[in-house]
Amino acid sequence: MTAAAVKSHEAAPRRRKANLLPYFLSLPALLVCVGILIPFVTAIYYSLLRFRLNLPMLKGFIWFQNYIDFLTDATFWHTVRVSLLYTALTVGVELVFGLTIALLLQKPSRVNNVISVLLLLPLMTAPAIAALMWKLMTNPNFGVLSYFVQLLGVSNFKWASDPNTALFTVVLVDVWVYTPFIMILLLAGLRSLPQQPFEAAALDGVPRRFVFFRITLPMLMPYMVTAALFRLLDSIQQFDIIYPMTQGGPGDTLLVFQVRSYLEFYQYTNVGKSAALLIILWAITYALSNVFIKQWLRLRERARGLA
Amino acid sequence: MAALELRSVSKAFKASKVLDSVSLAAEEGEIVCVFGPSGSGKTVLLRLIAGVEQADEGSIMLEGRDVTDTAPEARGVGMAFQNFALFPHMSAFDNVASALTARRASPEAIRGKVEKIARLLKIGHVLEHAPRELSNGQKQRTALARALVADPKILLLDDPLRNVDAKLRYEMRLELPALLRTSGSTVLYVTQDYKEAMALGDRIAVLLDGGVAQVAKPADIYREPATLGVARLFGDPAINLVPVQPLASPSGPKIGIGGASLSLPASYAHAIGKRCMLGLRPESLAVEAQPSQESFDVDLVAATPLNEKTLLLLRTADGRELLASEPNADEAPRRHGPAFARFDANAVLLFDAANGRRIAPQSA
Amino acid sequence: MESTSFIERILRGAALSLIVIFFLFPIFWILLMSFQTNEEILRIPPSLFFTPTLSNYAALITGKLATVSGTLDIAFMKNLWNSVLLSTASVAIALALGVPAAYAFARFKFRLGEDIAFTLLSFRFAPPLLVLLPLSLYFQALGLTDTYVGLIWVYQLIALPLILWIVRGYFEDISPDIEHAYRVAGHSWGRTFLRIAIPLARPGIAAAGLLAFIFCWNNFVFALILASADKQPVTVGALAFVTASGIQYGQIAAAIVLSVTPTLALALYAQRYLVEGLSLGAVKG
Repeated sequence: MTAAAVKSHEAAPRRRKANLLPYFLSLPALLVCVGILIPFVTAIYYSLLRFRLNLPMLKGFIWFQNYIDFLTDATFWHTVRVSLLYTALTVGVELVFGLTIALLLQKPSRVNNVISVLLLLPLMTAPAIAALMWKLMTNPNFGVLSYFVQLLGVSNFKWASDPNTALFTVVLVDVWVYTPFIMILLLAGLRSLPQQPFEAAALDGVPRRFVFFRITLPMLMPYMVTAALFRLLDSIQQFDIIYPMTQGGPGDTLLVFQVRSYLEFYQYTNVGKSAALLIILWAITYALSNVFIKQWLRLRERARGLA
Repeated sequence: MAALELRSVSKAFKASKVLDSVSLAAEEGEIVCVFGPSGSGKTVLLRLIAGVEQADEGSIMLEGRDVTDTAPEARGVGMAFQNFALFPHMSAFDNVASALTARRASPEAIRGKVEKIARLLKIGHVLEHAPRELSNGQKQRTALARALVADPKILLLDDPLRNVDAKLRYEMRLELPALLRTSGSTVLYVTQDYKEAMALGDRIAVLLDGGVAQVAKPADIYREPATLGVARLFGDPAINLVPVQPLASPSGPKIGIGGASLSLPASYAHAIGKRCMLGLRPESLAVEAQPSQESFDVDLVAATPLNEKTLLLLRTADGRELLASEPNADEAPRRHGPAFARFDANAVLLFDAANGRRIAPQSA
Repeated sequence: MESTSFIERILRGAALSLIVIFFLFPIFWILLMSFQTNEEILRIPPSLFFTPTLSNYAALITGKLATVSGTLDIAFMKNLWNSVLLSTASVAIALALGVPAAYAFARFKFRLGEDIAFTLLSFRFAPPLLVLLPLSLYFQALGLTDTYVGLIWVYQLIALPLILWIVRGYFEDISPDIEHAYRVAGHSWGRTFLRIAIPLARPGIAAAGLLAFIFCWNNFVFALILASADKQPVTVGALAFVTASGIQYGQIAAAIVLSVTPTLALALYAQRYLVEGLSLGAVKG
């Protein structure tokens, strides 16, 4: 047969068999997770029920009554306020603190690298355990921090057991655990920034404050947004620190969303109300995470484009 | 039976059709160069044959066996990728041996074969190195060795010389033909360099706009390109193209260039009245100081001496620029200014302006 | 900048010292406490000087705590063992499930692929209790409450999305032609996956596995709700410990030290992977 550039007309489009391999590979992971998705749907259903474990005979479908009840429930609004306050404080402080540390450690030197590794340790501590550590250190009888505060002339500082300082105390623990997370992200961001703008600014003798606000900060912004949103989503769902430290107390001082719904479920066995609270929390995080994912994808594109 | 045969193979990525009903065959032991501009689908063609991509339509036959739906590992082809695609976590030895381990050869046999091909390709001394420790040339040779080591019936080389420096490319162009002959494989060699295609190929398949524009021996492609597109791709400097419309005259077909009326061979009589493109290879244009029978007036604008030839830039009376090349002689340099050009009437190419096809001369 | 002045260097050093003290002092102090007797802990003012004792650790390891009201049996070592078992098994299973799925998402543009990927990612953002509270009722019905199987299954919620998103990024960075070359050389898809794709993505797999292990170890709320005493990991066990009456503070400190040592040791040992996993996991995906 000789070589031919003949257009033949006999070839009919062949039906391609679908490639099943990717489904085969990802299905096990998905199935495991779907098993966990079912309770999620159940939770939505529960939130529309009058459902108390201790009063099973009262169980019944009441549409949105659980949600409507919240509108006039002062304790609910207290929960919203405390959750948002906690979130704003932790994310705000951690962002500023984390950025400061990242800037201090920006230059890769041996000392800076050792410090940045050491600062990982709080982040690797289980938050629940960290809460216990701080609980021991703030114990009124022997806590070393109680002693320090006394040395400073503040007597009767009761940390987490005083409604006035409880929020401060748990925020402090959150800051201790999670600031390193922001620091690591921002440090990675700082070190990956292109150098030309800084060199140009240095050549032109631009003042350092100006460089920071006009060059560093804008270029770092995507990293800050990512880090902040990561923390935002975790913070508004806070449980691991507040529950071991105070169980939401003293009184109802620290009843944030998840702690409150936990108590609603186990203490008052009010499944319907607990579920409704969590659905509201989920709606808030869902809205936030949508913003987050968009931002994160944009950042990812950028990171790929630069690479 | 052809060693390799593509039957009406099509492939599209998203909306753009990269290959449109491509048919091509290669005989056993033949080296076919697949040549075309970038984006013409050469690499895709190779990847379809290797089984790394799936054809949308058509079928692929290797030694009479339909392999269209066969997995790459079962096709028995060897392939060298353009970017080498060496396994970064394996030594050069293991990279080359990877084509043998799949075939369950004994370790001694593997070692023997790898060392033999490594000697041939002069990488014997770097076999224990990791790919990142190899120079670009060594990487390229390792990739070639990997493709060759198992004596594949079909060898697919995707522009293997593209990512190496000029000196190495020159050396490899000299070495490769012998190497490929001794392997006995049927070779499909993709290149973007027409000189490489002419030097290496028994035949050249020109890929243009997703289709095979021509398959022919290198000399034939140059002398008798099937289309305007093919003619443009071969030759450096590129062919001169002049729109003409042959007219009838008692002495045979005539064309007009720059006001002069010039004769075409009588064998082009069937082109009379058609709108055509006249193709003039630079070396078939002669520039003279004195007018002659079939010459036309030009202005010699520039003369650029190269190593073995001189390029002359001419401007015709109607402002068209033409390139001529002539062998270097020891004469005095060309003087700029008015001159007379003449073409070898038997070396002209004529293309149909409507569809770009070449109009072959017809013996009366 | 080279032109930093002397004063600035001093200020910078002082700031960094304060930061290091703030973040490391709690760990340091708890470590000291774990070697002290109750009397030494209760001293005012607190002191850095004391005679170290291993009695707190001995009590934890033997499970016999001497208290004012007699001997108390406590299963802290069991908690520690539970943490090891739960975290290791969860990460092993999550790697077995997640690495192939990550590969599928990276290599194939298949229908539903992105949907599946996002579903898995969204687990990261749902409030854990939302799933856990109804799940606890289901687990009771299914007999999964207080079983290792049930816990390990739920721990996939932590480990799987993490592994999926970090490892996917690493697979995407491997040139497909490297895998193609191995297949053309005559190797099946499966061998190519095991010999080429997995080894080349190994740093990512290590980083993701390490992070997943630490997150599983540090998890609190899952086991709090779904496990009772004999299946609880250290995070929950240590809490029960604090509220139990008559326990000595040094023993709590020792329990804390034992609880955090594995993750902190891992973090220091593999900090390069960890930083890469944390920052790439967030930024690059």
